Amino acid sequence: MTELNQLADSSGDIILSPEELAAEHDLAARPSRRLEIVIAVTALVLSVTAIVLSQNIYLRMGAGGLDPKWWPTVLSSIAAGLSAILVGFALFGPTVSRGDLESVADGGWQRMLLALALSALYVFAWAQIGYIVPTIIYLAALLWLFGLRAWKGLVLFPLITTGFIYGLFHTMLRVPL
Amino acid sequence: MNALLDGILAVLEPTVMLCMGAGVIIGMLVGMFPGITATMAVALASGFTMTLDPVQGLAVLLTIYVAANFGDRIPSILINTPGTPASIATTFDGYPMAKNGRAGLALIVSALVSAIGIIASMVLFAFASVPLAQLALKFGPSEMFAVVILAMTIMISISSKSIAKGLLAGVIGLTIATIGRDPITGDARFTFGIRDLNGGLDFIAVIIGLFGIAELFDQLLTHRQFKIKPISALGRWWPTKSEYKQIVKPTGIAGLVGLVVGIIPGAGGDIAGLLGWDRAKAASKNKAEYGKGSIEGIAASDVASSATLGGSLTTTMALGIPGDSVMAVMIGSMIVWGIQPGPSLFVNQPSLVVTITAIMVLATLITLAINLVRMPMMVKLLDMPVHYIWATVLVFCLVGTYATTNNMFTVIVMLVFGVIGVILKRSGIPASPIVLGLILGPLAESNLRRSLLIDGPAGLVGKPISATLISLALIAIVVSLAAPIIARRRAKQAAAAPTN
Repeated sequence: MTELNQLADSSGDIILSPEELAAEHDLAARPSRRLEIVIAVTALVLSVTAIVLSQNIYLRMGAGGLDPKWWPTVLSSIAAGLSAILVGFALFGPTVSRGDLESVADGGWQRMLLALALSALYVFAWAQIGYIVPTIIYLAALLWLFGLRAWKGLVLFPLITTGFIYGLFHTMLRVPL
Repeated sequence: MNALLDGILAVLEPTVMLCMGAGVIIGMLVGMFPGITATMAVALASGFTMTLDPVQGLAVLLTIYVAANFGDRIPSILINTPGTPASIATTFDGYPMAKNGRAGLALIVSALVSAIGIIASMVLFAFASVPLAQLALKFGPSEMFAVVILAMTIMISISSKSIAKGLLAGVIGLTIATIGRDPITGDARFTFGIRDLNGGLDFIAVIIGLFGIAELFDQLLTHRQFKIKPISALGRWWPTKSEYKQIVKPTGIAGLVGLVVGIIPGAGGDIAGLLGWDRAKAASKNKAEYGKGSIEGIAASDVASSATLGGSLTTTMALGIPGDSVMAVMIGSMIVWGIQPGPSLFVNQPSLVVTITAIMVLATLITLAINLVRMPMMVKLLDMPVHYIWATVLVFCLVGTYATTNNMFTVIVMLVFGVIGVILKRSGIPASPIVLGLILGPLAESNLRRSLLIDGPAGLVGKPISATLISLALIAIVVSLAAPIIARRRAKQAAAAPTN
């Protein structure tokens, strides 16, 4: 460990050199057969659903030949074929590396899902009560969620950013926010 | 002559220059912050450029494209972390140079050769795009369908670790493109009674979701409480005469590699940088220095990755096939403005083609000047805390998407595709073929249906051009299937060799 060399900056992040980072932390996502099976089976189920939906497309002019059902049916059938190949690989092939993907950090899912929930709430509030107040609250909540605790940042950044976006989109580009 | 003059004059408008200024700042910033790619930035900027004139909007988007290509070198050199995938090879020699106290020199050489690469690629664009567009004008429905299939298979074979997942992504994109009313009969497909889906899914919303929100959500998933300290001793900035001489040969060799790679749809700066560095090393007298802080190495990697820009623009503008993922996003914006990239653009709007060239060249020169003069100040920006960047990107994604249609449904579509995007990313299914399929879907379907109605299935394989293109597409798939098998076999042989 390089505890003597590690420093913390104002945001609480530990500062390392690239060599220290590479030596101490293996960040790569691990290969997983179970995950590959889930991906492949989900793709297969969705593809088959797409075939069924394609067949159920309502045609006003009658079916046959190169009608509007034809192309989606071809595509979803190809997707089903590819998904079946993926299922085969996932079950019987070697477990493959996950490329450049990093593993999920502690609290990563929580942070992402909360950001998504806040964004959905913000879209709802914006549609109901307008742009300005929800945007200020949304930005402050996001900064808090992402780890900022300095009150100046939590107050000033949302105010300035909301004002800038309002000036750019509403005033300059004439988008009714 | 009028088209040339009109095209150049359009760029000299004060508002266009202002837009380019904004593009340079945004591009440099996004390039510098690892995790924010040029594709993500152009997708984000699409939101607020929709309401601008096409030339103003193109000035912002193209300048971001150029400036990100300069900005991404800075973290590669100072913290050994590529700002975007295009600067992966920059880390090979850039960071060792910085550790040896020559960070300033690495930054300046990188900026100079990047500018040379982009300008050279724009010369290629000026000469190659018109003949390519004239050839493409002779294409019928079967040839156009074959071009789409070739472009998709090449992009998939290059951008995907797994060919099956890449093909699946392309098919998903083509399927998403069928949502809405059928272009011939007007029958509703996959609309589920939702009136907002009648016109299909909004390009920009899907693109911002897949490239903006999904990338950000992935960072939220994987971010850890540490960051890398940048090299602070920058040393000398300008190269000596002998160093200038030293970089001529690698710049020439790797620049050529970049120009060729740029023309191939889907092959971008990341591949060109690695290949260019490798080729320049093979031809160098100082091979041993490569990877240990060689000025030749940094020149080679950065000129090669930058020289792809013009080639990518050539396939995009002349054929209507996106040269890379940034161009895929750009095509989405251009369609919204009523501009259809492809051979007809050169006939209908020749001045716009000149304008695009002028914007790219001018953006390169402005960014180069800023890099040469203000580099020390920009280095300090690497310390910006990540929570401000995340919050800004999220709110810009939401407001920018809303601005494209003034409809909250579009924002919901964007968020949904953000979630789909992060699931696909974690599943190893690439986003680029989905966007390519989404953009080229209507072109593929209409041309295939027309071709089959006119000539039947024989039309696709009976005509020499379409038969050649479809054969090339099949070869691309076979090669990408065979490549890992051959690599594994070679690795086994290499591992077995010492024991034998």
